[in-house]
Amino acid sequence: MSKRIVINPLTRISGFMEIDVTVENNQVVDAKTKGNLFRGFEQMLIGRSPFDSVYFTQRICGICSAAHSMASSLALEDALKIVPMEQGKYLRDIIHCCEFLQNHIRHFYQYTAPDFVKIDQNSLFQADHDDFRLPPEINDRISRHYFESLTISRLAHQMLAVLGGKAPHNHGVFIGGITTQATAEKVVHLDSILQKISAFIDESMIPDVYDIARYYPEYFQLGRGYGNLLTYGSFNNYKELGTLYVDPLVLTAEGMQVFDESKIQEKIDYSYFTAMEDTYSPREAAPMPDMDKSDAYSWVKAPRYNGLPFEVGPLARLVLSGLYNNGISAMDRTIARALEAKKIAEIMKVLLQQIIPGIDVQKKYELPEAASGRGLVDTTRGALGHWLKVKDKKISFYQIITPSTWDFSTRDENGYYGTAEAALIGTPIQNPEKPAEIGRVLRSFDPCMSCATHVYTPGKQVKTIKVF
Amino acid sequence: MNQPILPPEPLTNEAIAERLTNTAIKQLDRGLIKKRNLVYLELNGCSGNIISLLNGENPDIEYALNSMVNLRYSNSLMAAEGENAIEKLMDTLDEDFILAVEGAVALKNNGLYNIIGSWKGKPLTGLEAAKMLGEKASSILAVGACATHGGVSAARPNPSESVGLQTVLPEKKMIKLPGCPVHPDWFLGTLAHLILYGEPETDNLGRPLMFYSTLIHDRCPRRPFFDRGIFAEKLGDKTCLFKLGCRGPVTRVDCPTRQWNGHVNWPIGDDTPCIGCAQFGFPDAMAPFISYDTTRVVKDE
Repeated sequence: MSKRIVINPLTRISGFMEIDVTVENNQVVDAKTKGNLFRGFEQMLIGRSPFDSVYFTQRICGICSAAHSMASSLALEDALKIVPMEQGKYLRDIIHCCEFLQNHIRHFYQYTAPDFVKIDQNSLFQADHDDFRLPPEINDRISRHYFESLTISRLAHQMLAVLGGKAPHNHGVFIGGITTQATAEKVVHLDSILQKISAFIDESMIPDVYDIARYYPEYFQLGRGYGNLLTYGSFNNYKELGTLYVDPLVLTAEGMQVFDESKIQEKIDYSYFTAMEDTYSPREAAPMPDMDKSDAYSWVKAPRYNGLPFEVGPLARLVLSGLYNNGISAMDRTIARALEAKKIAEIMKVLLQQIIPGIDVQKKYELPEAASGRGLVDTTRGALGHWLKVKDKKISFYQIITPSTWDFSTRDENGYYGTAEAALIGTPIQNPEKPAEIGRVLRSFDPCMSCATHVYTPGKQVKTIKVF
Repeated sequence: MNQPILPPEPLTNEAIAERLTNTAIKQLDRGLIKKRNLVYLELNGCSGNIISLLNGENPDIEYALNSMVNLRYSNSLMAAEGENAIEKLMDTLDEDFILAVEGAVALKNNGLYNIIGSWKGKPLTGLEAAKMLGEKASSILAVGACATHGGVSAARPNPSESVGLQTVLPEKKMIKLPGCPVHPDWFLGTLAHLILYGEPETDNLGRPLMFYSTLIHDRCPRRPFFDRGIFAEKLGDKTCLFKLGCRGPVTRVDCPTRQWNGHVNWPIGDDTPCIGCAQFGFPDAMAPFISYDTTRVVKDE
């Protein structure tokens, strides 16, 4: 017997998401993921000053705003032919580290933990399902950490503000690296907070995630997907330090290869968009919305690398860097996020040791009449790309492919599903009336629909429903 | 307003949110006042205000959640999902509640550009939820630039036809807390005031005077540079950022004294211009954010 399950909203993510699955014999046989808000950043950016894109694009996302400031700064440096000083890069990357720490701690405790842990203190945490297996002492400990972690993630944002002015939506990341200069006082301030955060990750977060894994072992078998992994590189390409984390790499069934950006394409065969071609390079075209296109079933576009859908994010990076080889699954993704928090804290420590106080990396920048550039960077959720063009000193083109667009893409004309759709298909559902599994698998990707939905709009069927 | 509002002294100003919230908690503990229901609605935006609220320290957000209010609905935090979550939202309609809204209201396609959930098999739009809850709420807080006036969600050409909350609830009184994002103290201090003493005193645009009374420019630590005509030429300079496009002279809020994230820094402290994120009209009326040629020197002939 076939049953349709619609979950809307999928809570405890950033932004709005609907999931529509078909279950047969207690197993998911079809899945569609939809983003449920649309703002149209690429259209808004046209005609603005190119410098403004750094602060403007941060407003795409509240939880990963620094990521967009990174990608837009890199795209502008590419367009303006500016090579930042190493000290500028270090400081900018330290700001980025702070965002990783904030995001991973909040995603694990505030977004993921309530799927597995019964938090009794507050009716807000009353769950829909009853699949809670942790023994009381572990459950109570992680519940306590839910609240304690807020102090820690807040400190991560405080570190970000020490160099970035404020968080969310920082002012520090910019062309050339960072706007301000490091001082001895700031470096010590950051180092002292970082020690507290590192201790929390080692003593609370990592033991907590492994305890959850121990009591929910079947999640090591669920939510695998295609197993294609991609990273644009992360904390790499330093002149003296080399690579602190991972180089640009991809992994498919054919093995590991060096990432080649010319192989990125976006597909719109099954999306409500039209362009000259249904497959195009992100620096060439920004397609126009078209709800009447035949065969289309969603507004979600489908980025592909070499024609294949890819998973991006902490697990992809850890596997590609050779630091993790347990497998690819919902639980591995969640574990990878905690382990990556530790790795990022270590990288930040190394970067802090390189800082020389008092170096001013800023200049008075001139805009060219015409230019184009791209910024590709791995951020908290994975590979983020900004592509821009400048004409008459204004932005004339802007294209953004976010990590959640990779993970939550639509299917394509070659018959591939989106990464998260593929991860859901085959998932056994114990109780279709109270499905705990769907949310757990989807949240393992850390979906950020605020980010992905700058290009998403609601699906076609809802357009025709008169609400009032 | 009978009495002129004086710019608060820095100490009073920084302490104001903390004092209010601590008093509220004490009175709640003694049973002198009742815990109120809070519905926190996220609409068309980046969910950056709820992330900023998690940074709250006066009091910390965990204390606020557990001791000040019964938070009945929050897309970012609640355990329930799908129609079970929306059911909890609907349940509050028959009770007394404070409504806090972040994000703009998208009007395009009858609101379908922002669907916040599904109810009885039909999509529930942000527009529908804002009207329904706004009509019933005993107090309304518009949180952040998108809710107060459309903000970045309504930036030109405004593809989703987003508007501020007041536009869809023209008759309702609401407290407006502009900012991109809101500072956690502005929200938590206002909430504490509401619980303790009712609505705080606001200006004619609905902004609480305890936070939004004074121009950034009037309390900027770099004001002496402005007065002497010493201006920064690039980011990173330590002088007045006016000629790089600083919007401090038109932005009314207490960033110079309150600062951000545990009071460690703020945009001007980071050697960048204020971009006017807490002023109505942000972002379009405040653009360009950074320009190296705002003013030019006219050579003597």
